[in-house]
Amino acid sequence: MAISLNAHQDTLEVRNLHASVENKKVLNGVSLTLRSSEVHALMGPNGSGKTTLSAVIAGHPKYVVEKGDILLNGESILNWTPEKRAQAGLFLAFQYPAEVPGVSVSNFLRTAYNQLQPKERQMPVFKFAAMLDEKMKDLQMPSAFAERYLNDGFSGGEKKRCEILQMSILSPKIALMDETDSGLDIDALRVVAEGTNQLIRRTGLGVLLVTHYPRILHYVKPDFVHLFVQGRIVKTGGMDLAEELEKTGYGQLEAPVADAPEPAEKAAKKTKAKQPA
Amino acid sequence: MENVQLKKQLAGEYPFGFHDDVKNVYEFKKGLDEDVVRKISKIKNEPEWMLTRRLDALKIFQSKPTPTWGADLSHIDFDDIIYYVRPTDKPARSWDDVPEKMKQTFEKLGIPEAERKFLAGAGAQYDSESVYHKLREDLEKQGVVFLDMDSGLREHEDIVKKYFGSVIPSSDNKFAALNTAVWSGGSFLYVPKGVHVEVPLQAYFRINTKNMGQFERTLIIAEPGSSVHYLEGCFTAGTPIQTIEGTKPIENVTADDHVFTHKNRFRKVKRTQVRPYSGKLYKITYFGDSTQQIEATNEHPFWAVRRKKSEYTNTEWKPEWVAAEKLDPHDYLGIPINREVRTEEYRSFIVKAYNAKKRNFEPKHIVLKTDMDFFRLIGYYLAEGTVTGDHYVHFTFNVKEREYIEDVKALCEKYLGKKPLEMAEYNHGISLILCSTDAARVFSKQFGKHAAYKRVPHWVMEEAPEKQAKLVKGFWRGDGNYLSARYSSGFKNVFRMNTISEKLARQIRDMLLRNDILAGLNRWKRTGNRKDAYAVHIGGKYVDDFSKMVGTNEEVANEPGVKALMFNRQGTRASFGQIVGNYAFVPIRSIETREVENSSVYNFSVDEDESYVAGGVAVHNCSSPTYTSDSLHSAVVEIIALEGSRVQYTTIQNWYSDVYNLVTKRAKAYKDATMFWLDGNIGSKVTMKYPSVLLMEPGARGEVVSVALAGKGQHQDAGAKIFHLASNTSSLITSKSISKDGGRTTYRGKVYVSPTATNVKSNVECDALILDEKSASDTVPYMEIQSDDVSISHEASVSKLDSEKLFYLQSRGLSEEKAKQLLVQGFIEPFVKKLPMEYAVELNRLVDMEMEGSVG
Repeated sequence: MAISLNAHQDTLEVRNLHASVENKKVLNGVSLTLRSSEVHALMGPNGSGKTTLSAVIAGHPKYVVEKGDILLNGESILNWTPEKRAQAGLFLAFQYPAEVPGVSVSNFLRTAYNQLQPKERQMPVFKFAAMLDEKMKDLQMPSAFAERYLNDGFSGGEKKRCEILQMSILSPKIALMDETDSGLDIDALRVVAEGTNQLIRRTGLGVLLVTHYPRILHYVKPDFVHLFVQGRIVKTGGMDLAEELEKTGYGQLEAPVADAPEPAEKAAKKTKAKQPA
Repeated sequence: MENVQLKKQLAGEYPFGFHDDVKNVYEFKKGLDEDVVRKISKIKNEPEWMLTRRLDALKIFQSKPTPTWGADLSHIDFDDIIYYVRPTDKPARSWDDVPEKMKQTFEKLGIPEAERKFLAGAGAQYDSESVYHKLREDLEKQGVVFLDMDSGLREHEDIVKKYFGSVIPSSDNKFAALNTAVWSGGSFLYVPKGVHVEVPLQAYFRINTKNMGQFERTLIIAEPGSSVHYLEGCFTAGTPIQTIEGTKPIENVTADDHVFTHKNRFRKVKRTQVRPYSGKLYKITYFGDSTQQIEATNEHPFWAVRRKKSEYTNTEWKPEWVAAEKLDPHDYLGIPINREVRTEEYRSFIVKAYNAKKRNFEPKHIVLKTDMDFFRLIGYYLAEGTVTGDHYVHFTFNVKEREYIEDVKALCEKYLGKKPLEMAEYNHGISLILCSTDAARVFSKQFGKHAAYKRVPHWVMEEAPEKQAKLVKGFWRGDGNYLSARYSSGFKNVFRMNTISEKLARQIRDMLLRNDILAGLNRWKRTGNRKDAYAVHIGGKYVDDFSKMVGTNEEVANEPGVKALMFNRQGTRASFGQIVGNYAFVPIRSIETREVENSSVYNFSVDEDESYVAGGVAVHNCSSPTYTSDSLHSAVVEIIALEGSRVQYTTIQNWYSDVYNLVTKRAKAYKDATMFWLDGNIGSKVTMKYPSVLLMEPGARGEVVSVALAGKGQHQDAGAKIFHLASNTSSLITSKSISKDGGRTTYRGKVYVSPTATNVKSNVECDALILDEKSASDTVPYMEIQSDDVSISHEASVSKLDSEKLFYLQSRGLSEEKAKQLLVQGFIEPFVKKLPMEYAVELNRLVDMEMEGSVG
């Protein structure tokens, strides 16, 4: 049953966004509107700028926005700090989450959770631990996980689950999930997808699902599929587009883009994009 | 004069010791020479050999140059230091030995009980000597000796003579020589064979007198097969208190009470402390509450905002901790506002109800709707109500207040199920009487029976501000008025509410704060034998907000002309204070000082926040005394860990930012013994400290874990030294340092392996974290390995704050500051997790405070 407790509709709007990093253009005019309870899949080949897009929306200081705007419920968030964006309900599930040795998952999450709550809803240690334990059960995580240092020595799959755990605790309005499916085995993928679906159902979460495999889309059903090539959306469709891509691959789709860079440069870009964000 | 007295004393004209009347404060002049050393030794009535050692050490001190290989020590003026201060007559060990006068104070403060709980096994070093030293009886039975060093020398001269200086000879370095020459206080700990001391033994150190060096000397001997953990820390002083049950006098505050802190919340008192204090006390009064004055020691930190220009109101309001002695009149003190909201539509109250069948009283639950209008009824009751005979609730109004009378009738009917009876007019008064046993019992228990005892319970104080506004409205209708006076300078317009309950007055003031209205409190004497009355008054720019809150209708202005003034005031109106965020800031009215000798001062240690509201404003339980001029702390700690024993020595040092902290700490570990130094350095201007272990015999093990944080103007030059003098020995050094705001950290370490030692393992890991461009860190590791059969590893890392980690945490909603705090916490976690819980919390809090930049 799809009951949204979140009667309020939230809208994230990306308007003709151009961005660069170290004087290299990465985004070339992205436009996208994402509302509560909607799932948008952003698909594209490696190095097309998908990760950049989610990082720019989350406010990574490394990127320079050259043109365009990002609006949350009609208000421009371009000048907001990352924490202000998070406090307003944005969440970025990282492709490569940073490791923070010495800070336990539970300590970190409680700090983050309380930071986002109004005073009267802040939780003391024990109450929070109970909530955390419950959420971890949902994601089939052992309770010892809470006391491990954040992402420190986690396997790829554990890191991704941890991102989803954070998402379900912090309960954002809009989530940007950056290749959450990569590095997950099929069972873990199911668990992660189920966790995401629950949030969409229960809280009306809007999701931008960045991926290059259509696999996860069988579990988290997208309302829209965008094909992302060289820093912009070149085509938008439904699940059929994803299926088409599954058959044909990205190779031939890159051709129509007018100002395609030289192959050598493209290769360089690819390696760059593989660096942890 | 002093010299004459001194000569007489030295000539033996006076029998040595202190007379009861002479309050035993014996302060030396600045500077160091042979006379000073002889005088110290003489006062302590020491054996000749100790005097000889002191004098020998003095020569070494005088001949050695100040070291230049480490931190900058060129600013220490050895002639500007007082080398000995003696606060009390004799160090006391059992309750009976404590001077009567101090005992009375202890008793008044409820310490005897706390003493059993907390002072067990604690030696406290106040100024140069332990004033109070109590050993838990079971430890004593086991033969553990835990004394201040002077008593140790007196009572166990043979042991002291054997070991004193055997680990750290005077010739070791200039500061060890200095300490040996003038040492005073410190601890003597002897653990007999096979005894395991399970409880960490603690001693609190502090420097009280300005420019007085602290030269404590500690000697720990662990006999074969024994184990002990010794903790060193420092705590301080304070005054009176806002608790969850309202304001309490200091003497009634005990551990487990909840006090209000500068972070706008209630936190539990971990323990209470009392100590004698000689020096200046600062008496501070402030505007906006004439009932309060606070007296604090010079270093006690207040949550304050410095006034930028005396003639203007500040535009920026960033509070910081400011020591009492650094406060100026007109600086602002912070009153934390409790913003906690716990609102309930219904509440259940328990009253006793008579059961006629069983002929006894039983608890009965009464559920009342506690919404806005009910709060107005509470307000009426607080102003005009009383409970008589356990069955009747009375309200009394002026005959003109017909609207209120009808309001109360309707409210009673709505909430208490019954309309009160209206009595005939008497003396222009109308009485309403509600005959309801349940209501009478609920009201008298929750809100007080009579005027002088009126108050509201805690749940009312944490209800929604909107509801509290209604309570104030009801109260104002009953006991409030509006004053308007015309002066040459303009109008003075004030709302005022009166009560003879001080507690209620304060609570009304606090409820108004929650509604962002700053009210003043005044006490006024009334004629005859009547009790003092308290007025809560609202003036200046808060008048408008208040008039909106109480709804100024016709009845308010029942004096002619007042109404017109109320709504037609002109010009801007200033207020004495300002509400900014979660604090009301009120200017200091006056600061007076007085000198006291051996006056008792007290303090609490409070969970997490380490602060409390005293005399209405937030003060800190500071972890270290503060100073206005440079001072020197030069201690020596010697430890002998005999075969198979284990000794842990833990220090968290948070000296004030002008202290030179130059400490020599060294242990000898014999066959299969383990020595563990845990060393945290947060405060001080310069620290030079390298806890060392001499691994004397096979199987010995040494471990040093240290953390240092250097902020603005600080240099933490710390590390460890391990000497492998025998085979099959191992060592582990872990050092973590953080530098920020231009601070500098140095890791300086040495690992030595003698030519004859085989199968030696040593592992050194030092990590430095640099938080900004202005700060620096360097690593100076020495390795002197003269044997081949060794396994040595050394890892050093220097890292800057990782921007990707920062972004990751910020993207979860943490502010940059909070994110940095968390990263630093994570960085020092390997150190923190080895601390006892309480110390770990304390250390994390200190580091957080350093990171906030709110200390020092």
